[in-house]
Amino acid sequence: MVHARPSEHLTRLETQADYVAFRAQAQARWKDLWEGSRTVVSVGVGSSSIAKGALDVLDTCRAELGNAAVVREVSGNGAFWMEPWIEIRRPGEPPVVYGPLQAADVTAVFNGERDDLAVGVRNSEPLRNIPSLNEHPFFRDQLQIISRNAGVIEPDSIEDAIARGAYDGYFKVLFEMSAEEAIAEVTAANVRGRGGGGFPAGIKWESGRKARVTPKFVVCNSHEGEPNVYKDRHLHECDPHRILEGILIACVVCGAERGYNYIGGEYPLAIRRFRKAVADAERIGLIGKNILGTGHDIAFRIRTGGGAYICGEASAMMFSVMGVRGQPRTKPPRSVEEGLWKRPTIANNTETLANIPDIIVNGGEWYAGLGTEGSKGTKLMTVQGPLARHGVVEVEMGMTLRKLFDDIYGGMAEGRTFKGVQTGGVSAGPLKDEHLDIPVDFDSLGDVGGMLGSGGWVIFDESVNVVDFARYLTAFNRYESCSKCVPCRLGNPALVEILDRIRFGRGSMDDLTLIQRTSKHIIELSLCGLGQVAPVPLIGMIEHFPEDFEHAVKYGTMTAPPLPLAAD
Amino acid sequence: MAHAESAHAVLPVPAPFTGRQDVDPEVVRELLSHFTFDDYEEAQELILSALQEVNEHFGWVSPEAAQIVAEHLNTTVNRVFGLLTFYADFRTEPRGHHHMLICHGMACYVMGSQALVQEMQGGFGIDDGETTADEQVSIQVVNGCLGVCDLAPVVKLDDEYFGPVTAEELTSLLNRAIGGQRAMREKGVSNGPRPTK
Ligand SMILES: Cc1cc2nc3c(=O)[nH]c(=O)nc-3n(C[C@H](O)[C@H](O)[C@H](O)COP(=O)(O)O)c2cc1C
Ligand code: SF4
Ligand code: FES
Repeated sequence: MVHARPSEHLTRLETQADYVAFRAQAQARWKDLWEGSRTVVSVGVGSSSIAKGALDVLDTCRAELGNAAVVREVSGNGAFWMEPWIEIRRPGEPPVVYGPLQAADVTAVFNGERDDLAVGVRNSEPLRNIPSLNEHPFFRDQLQIISRNAGVIEPDSIEDAIARGAYDGYFKVLFEMSAEEAIAEVTAANVRGRGGGGFPAGIKWESGRKARVTPKFVVCNSHEGEPNVYKDRHLHECDPHRILEGILIACVVCGAERGYNYIGGEYPLAIRRFRKAVADAERIGLIGKNILGTGHDIAFRIRTGGGAYICGEASAMMFSVMGVRGQPRTKPPRSVEEGLWKRPTIANNTETLANIPDIIVNGGEWYAGLGTEGSKGTKLMTVQGPLARHGVVEVEMGMTLRKLFDDIYGGMAEGRTFKGVQTGGVSAGPLKDEHLDIPVDFDSLGDVGGMLGSGGWVIFDESVNVVDFARYLTAFNRYESCSKCVPCRLGNPALVEILDRIRFGRGSMDDLTLIQRTSKHIIELSLCGLGQVAPVPLIGMIEHFPEDFEHAVKYGTMTAPPLPLAAD
Repeated sequence: MAHAESAHAVLPVPAPFTGRQDVDPEVVRELLSHFTFDDYEEAQELILSALQEVNEHFGWVSPEAAQIVAEHLNTTVNRVFGLLTFYADFRTEPRGHHHMLICHGMACYVMGSQALVQEMQGGFGIDDGETTADEQVSIQVVNGCLGVCDLAPVVKLDDEYFGPVTAEELTSLLNRAIGGQRAMREKGVSNGPRPTK
């Protein structure tokens, strides 16, 4: 796993002119692919579709269509409900997407005998009786900016990425723009941190650039340990070069000599594709010494996490990179003053950095025109639970949850009734039906106890007992507490204990008061963000579903106590 | 149950599956030979990666392997054990011949993974991270999401994903794994119902 092999045919580009020529070549190759005389078959391969047999489909396409067509391994496109899918572009026709299908269907689909499996025509008008994919409710209301290459490019091909605009922003900060100008664009865009906090990236970068200690580092936080999000992993699988470009731009602009990407260890495909992206970028000289003759030196390192949720917290992540236990520390000093190896370190979430290339290319003003007053741009969202459709989507900030759930995700699955939606992963409370018309951005849900967080929403129906669910969320925080400070280490087990008492029918109304008091201690006295919000989901559940808790206090929710289980 | 499998995993696998591995010190040294460093800081950064490599290769990190990693990267075995016990992905005992992951992420939870966890504990008497008495199956409950939430609740056995899984299906899956018969195909398990458009 340590070394990914770069593509053999790539060579080092020494100058700006070399790069421009290389880009022109990549663009010509891309144009030829889509306008040429060969049939193009693309198979969507991502961790979600592999689980449903996409690799078999790919193997079959290679074996049976390899002579008749160009077979490409692209990434998933976010639409899990149509996986595994293949896309066929026949000469003179726009590309048509077919799914869900299995390896056995491939030949018939290729021969045009299975138009019943067609989902839509990508990026084009309807063809015969096949509708346009953009008109499908799942895609119609999306605004795909950072995910626009998903399912389109081969993630393992740097040429595909470059043909579609990768490294244009990097090129601009290397040759055409000063660091001050670049930061001014990021500040004007007012892009806020996608890792949950919503801190403006422009301000962080400005402090990073001004820091006088050297060397400086940039760390991309791709840990994503929350039990309900996979947007960063999806982005790595779809468009690794976009993330890499964001990190490299940050390095140039802030004067950092080394970039890092810290990826959650559970995502083998994301790690593999990102390693390949770095190997190729190194090979053509976008990383390394004297990049394209500019005199910039930037090194790159990939580090992987070990399955501890707390390592997503920025200071814990840096300890983890330094090879010790990932336990947060008190701030100040902030990481931009004293981070990795006690040097100034700019840490940003993957999605934040993925937004940067477009901001540099199109300008901050363009970006600030998207979204709401306080939250600009788009947001990757994942909605899970008993829904009609599943997947990852990208929507403009300010969409209501109702539109997101009902239109894009197709509403509840058959026979299921909406009860509530858990927001902000394990860091905020649930919302009920009456809250779904609030336009969603970083600030809007606070009043009702919800949170945008990293854009993960988990819908639950009547089959889920909210007291048990609250226990699950609290137990997650108990298990993931790093044990450094007392309120979090002892408070969360205490909450779980009280909840279990209630669930086994031995609770009293005093226990609900005790929950409030214990929670207050944990929230106010904990060292880091985990403890400071750990009881919030529980408090939110009590606030929104008091009758369920009162019922549980009287009758309990369980017939027999479960055996002890660490991760339960 | 929709049966979803990854490529190359469809053929019946000889029983028992060879997921269980003893750690060969020579192989550990070979793995570590890729971990070169220029300075003290870089060596520190590589400890976790090196352990992950060993863990991934053998399914666990033996005390001997921990010692080799410590020596290779100029640190102490105590430090290495501090990491092995902090990060949840590391195992310090060998896995069973089969390895099963039960997804307990939030999407799987709201779709009923709790019942699977209870089945594992109650029906089979195994706790998270443990291995059945006959060393056939080790089970890990994962808090993170396996990334296939549309099949929730999801169970991954070796390289194959199954979902949505009920408690009864988990029982039969485990029984079959314990019996060493992984020829799922013989029962004609199809890909089953799929999510609709
Ligand atoms: C318990 C905890 C877990 C976190 N997990 C993540 C994570 O998985 N990914 C992430 O980008 N940020 C995570 N954060 C937020 C980071 O501390 C940090 O704010 C963020 O990476 C900064 O990047 P941004 O400004 O681009 O959002 C977490 C914070 C806490 C307190
Ligand atoms: S609040 Fe919890 S996770 Fe954060 S430092 Fe304290 S013990 Fe660790
Ligand atoms: S939560 Fe189980 S697969 Fe996503």
